[in-house]
Amino acid sequence: MDIQLKRGLLDVCVLAAIKNEDSYGYQIVKDIKPYVEISESTLYPILRRLEAAECLSVRSVEHNGRLRKYYHILPPGRERIDQFTTDWREIESIHEFITRGGERHE
Amino acid sequence: MNKEQFILALYDELKGIPIDDVEKTINYYREMIDERMEDGMSEEEAVAAMGSIQDIAEQILAETPLTTLVRDKVTGGKPLPTWEIVLLVLGAPLWIPLGAAAFSILLAVYIVIWSMVIALGAVTFALAVSGIACIIGCVPLMLRMGVAYMLFSLGGGLVCTGIAVLLFFVLRATVIGVAKLSRSIWLGIKSIFVRKEAA
Repeated sequence: MDIQLKRGLLDVCVLAAIKNEDSYGYQIVKDIKPYVEISESTLYPILRRLEAAECLSVRSVEHNGRLRKYYHILPPGRERIDQFTTDWREIESIHEFITRGGERHE
Repeated sequence: MNKEQFILALYDELKGIPIDDVEKTINYYREMIDERMEDGMSEEEAVAAMGSIQDIAEQILAETPLTTLVRDKVTGGKPLPTWEIVLLVLGAPLWIPLGAAAFSILLAVYIVIWSMVIALGAVTFALAVSGIACIIGCVPLMLRMGVAYMLFSLGGGLVCTGIAVLLFFVLRATVIGVAKLSRSIWLGIKSIFVRKEAA
């Protein structure tokens, strides 16, 4: 898949993975993996970017004698997801136009 | 490689990057290795799954803005003490011209490189235009001056156009090459500020 496209998709995937409940790094990777190729090293810059953009917040929780970071979605993060679904509807109609081979709709 | 070796190697590779970022990164990868081990992987496997340390460090370097790197190098991440600000202001007549000179040299090199590219483009364009003109011009030439002149003009035109086509490919490769070069010079400038600290 095109790198720029994948990058944009992954940001939204990460937000979607924490949309309903807070989640931690490894769980996020496991949740997204069946759909898009992602590794811990790819996830890290995305989390940093989203945190800087105030799309999510981080808190540390003790787990098995060590710290585990949980990521919590913030309102701008939810807006990003909504924006994506709106954009996607537009892309779908473009996709339809492309697969029709640019023929005029009668 | 075990976890501690991985952490140490990563630490080494991240020297020069703001200390907060280093801590965050180390903590993140420590957590990820622990998670994989809890999931049943051996320590070695979990470390290997993180990928190459150089790649990790490069990615973080590429995402840290140059201004942050410079500021961090100059101040060590702390706000400037008053006497340093005074020194900076008093030293302005010295360091501003020096900085401007360094900047101008870099800019000049950049302009020279791109001028050469533009010159090459102009040559290609001129050859193409004159070649095509010679080819078209051979028709009236034949009518007015005879077959010999026509053949001369046609041949010359074909040669010019041919060279122009070849040069076009050279030009394309050069533009791509120079663009890549500019990018790596930029990354190089960034890493100067990072590596010096590490040395």
